[in-house]
Amino acid sequence: MTIVMISSMYQSGREELAQALARKTGWPVLSREELVDEARKLGIKIGRLEVAMIKTPGLSEKLVREKELYLAFLTATLCEKARQGNLIYHGRAGHLLLPGVSHRLRVGLTAPRENRIKRTAQALNLTPDKAETYLAQLDEDVGKWIRYIHRVDGRDPNHFDLFFNLENMGLSNAAGILCATAELPDFQATPASLKLLNDLNLSAQAKLRLALDERTLQADLQVHADNGVVTVTYPPNQDQVSQYIPQVLAELPGCREIQCTMAETNILWVQERFEPESGNFGQIIRLAQRWGAAVELMRLIPPGEAPAGVEGLNSESDYSYGRRDCALADDGGVQDDDDPQTATDDGGLGRTEEELVDIGRFGGRHTVCGGYDKILERVQGSGRYTLVVIGDMFMSKGHSARTRQTRELALNIRDRLKAPVITADELKSHFLFGKRQAATLLGYLALSILIYVLVFTNQKPVLDFLGGPFHQNFKVVAAVTVTLFSPLLAYVFGTVSELALKIINVD
Amino acid sequence: MHELFAGNFIDISLASALQVVLLGFIGGILSGFIGSGGAFFMTPGMMNLGVDGVIAVASNITHKFGKALVGSRKHAAAGNVDKKLAAFMLGTALIGVQIAVWINSYFKGGGDSHGVDQGAGANLYISLVFAVILSAVAVSMLRDILKSKGNGEAVAGPSMKIAEYLSRLNLPPVIHFSVADTKVSLWVLMVVGVATGYLAGTIGVGGFIGVPAMIYVFGVPTAVATGTELFLAVFMGGYGALSYAYLGFVDLRLTMLLYLGSLVGIHLGVYGVKVVNEKYIRVVTSLIILLCVFSRVIAIPVYLRQLGYMNMDAGWDVYFNTTSKFFLFASGISGALVILMQVVRAYRQRRQIQKTLLVIRKPGLISTESAKAA
Repeated sequence: MTIVMISSMYQSGREELAQALARKTGWPVLSREELVDEARKLGIKIGRLEVAMIKTPGLSEKLVREKELYLAFLTATLCEKARQGNLIYHGRAGHLLLPGVSHRLRVGLTAPRENRIKRTAQALNLTPDKAETYLAQLDEDVGKWIRYIHRVDGRDPNHFDLFFNLENMGLSNAAGILCATAELPDFQATPASLKLLNDLNLSAQAKLRLALDERTLQADLQVHADNGVVTVTYPPNQDQVSQYIPQVLAELPGCREIQCTMAETNILWVQERFEPESGNFGQIIRLAQRWGAAVELMRLIPPGEAPAGVEGLNSESDYSYGRRDCALADDGGVQDDDDPQTATDDGGLGRTEEELVDIGRFGGRHTVCGGYDKILERVQGSGRYTLVVIGDMFMSKGHSARTRQTRELALNIRDRLKAPVITADELKSHFLFGKRQAATLLGYLALSILIYVLVFTNQKPVLDFLGGPFHQNFKVVAAVTVTLFSPLLAYVFGTVSELALKIINVD
Repeated sequence: MHELFAGNFIDISLASALQVVLLGFIGGILSGFIGSGGAFFMTPGMMNLGVDGVIAVASNITHKFGKALVGSRKHAAAGNVDKKLAAFMLGTALIGVQIAVWINSYFKGGGDSHGVDQGAGANLYISLVFAVILSAVAVSMLRDILKSKGNGEAVAGPSMKIAEYLSRLNLPPVIHFSVADTKVSLWVLMVVGVATGYLAGTIGVGGFIGVPAMIYVFGVPTAVATGTELFLAVFMGGYGALSYAYLGFVDLRLTMLLYLGSLVGIHLGVYGVKVVNEKYIRVVTSLIILLCVFSRVIAIPVYLRQLGYMNMDAGWDVYFNTTSKFFLFASGISGALVILMQVVRAYRQRRQIQKTLLVIRKPGLISTESAKAA
């Protein structure tokens, strides 16, 4: 049993190669176009997704869900067909589908540009110049699509088992080579690859059901399947959805157990602009993984710094922009298949969200314009936060103003949310264990040992100072020294014990 | 018999040092987990090792001062300290402490009850107050838990009936506490503050009274009540440490040994609060309190006999006292063990990152599907 996945750019001959291989092997052929038609029938808005992904740098929450739904549909359909026997699939990035399944043969295909232009001109009835321009734009857009959908470069040779250049090779010969390669033991199904296929199928089927059911479609769910056990994880602020998950997945074929799990806690991360490559992101992810926490993103646009061009947003006196104005940034600039709008900047929310989704730590997202009161309004009813992290804020201000305003914002949020609030700079020193903490631990440990050794090897003079003849003459000195020494030692040794326990994640 | 140094300080052997560290560790776990309760366990524990009562109290207060300072700093960073509320509580509680001292003087006992052998009248009076008040606190907590169980609530919240009733009375002037986000009439505040101070001065366990009072009477969130109480303890502990050190009663070696155990234990206790559910915390707290109460109640016949209200052989005193001590230590040790067990279990669960809340099984399906796939 082998799955042959042929990928190429438009008019590179992938359909012809697939058909030639099918003639040699008698295996069924499935194309991306067929899958897209089926997906549209199911209500997945592929057109809107394509336009939005190509035109905007980030994705709205709605579009991320649409993308997940699309991928789940592709995976589920391919798995279903592949479980019935051999299969030939051709599309833009088929080689990136069914990741990890070892009995798929990932085939890349390229053809001379002149041939592609000629075929495009014939297919679309265009002049060669227009066909060339069209093809260049299409290649660029498809490249972007693959990067957004699969998060890798579609042309990266590491993702292929075999790559054909049709400049000097005919399609029939290429199909012959493919046929022989597909027969190799390396590309035959094994119990492990079949198990993975089943798991991928089950997970995708579960995602589809959850995404299409109105009771669960709005929830930020992570789905994972392993050997018939489907695990669905939801953020703490959406715990009401847990009751519906078993109902939605009740009749899911192949599922022998459903586990609804909740991320243990929530971290709220407030920032003006998000960048997954930043140090803040890495630190918060480390913390979330240590605590089993979901990370809720909140983009806060300070008063007077709202995006230009949106009516009402630049007025300092009017902070009540409401959901609609700020939601523009969340929609990725596209409302539906027929009416794509110009994209607006989402402040990196989409990319950060995708990274969090990938590692199963996404806990929701918001965009608010205004002061801390807007944050409180938005998170009302979200439940408890273990930590609120105030990231880089007030970026247009000078250093002093930025520091002061960030501190004021942190204090206001802390007072109202009753949750620990910390700035990104403090995060590392407070909650994570790095070189600085290791140095502090060693320093304070040495100091603690020194104090204990000094006191316990000189007990007589110490007791004389505390209650003996010396004390009789210098009562005030003794009292003040004891009163100062006690908290000092508590601080030094308390830091040692705190850091030592932090090493084993007890914090 | 221990050799006594200057100021009646004992000679500390390695074995007794380790026992003090262990006392500190257990006390630390208890105070980290239930917000108070270290003193009731550590002071008599040290006295059992031959430490003079006053020195045990003084060393423990000095230890508590440093611990409270570090702990309240952490709580303050987490936004759990309402300094305005603490200031009002401190002012009124001091009046209450003074009243307690006068009443105790009337019974010819003095103000501290950490097991220090005082007059039978004072002991009886202190034991009765201890038993009545702490029983009320424990029973109230257990009733809340049972009620919420009956209503099918997932997490039991403290009853707000008293706080709501008092807020409806609206006795001016009403003071707003921004961190605790609650409004309390100055009169209610004074009554509670004085009562808390009085009870702290009488039975020596301020936290057992102050924290529930803030939660149930003022309607303060649990975390803020604990943080504010700890902040209060800094001032009370500081004053106590300064006074006792001036009198030459602080054995700094005992304080240091207590720190070795308690500063590790307190982190484990605080970690337990984060990972163990609130209902469990309150069940453990109320059971520990009830065991302490039981320990005190067992000692009451001895005081009644000493005062001539009960006809009992004096030889029985030792049995009552031993049983009383047994229950005191049993409450501390078993409480700490239960907490530690929960902490380890939660830690292991947490290592698995996520907590399974709901599992639905459909036996037999997987084998069918696997067969099809193959």
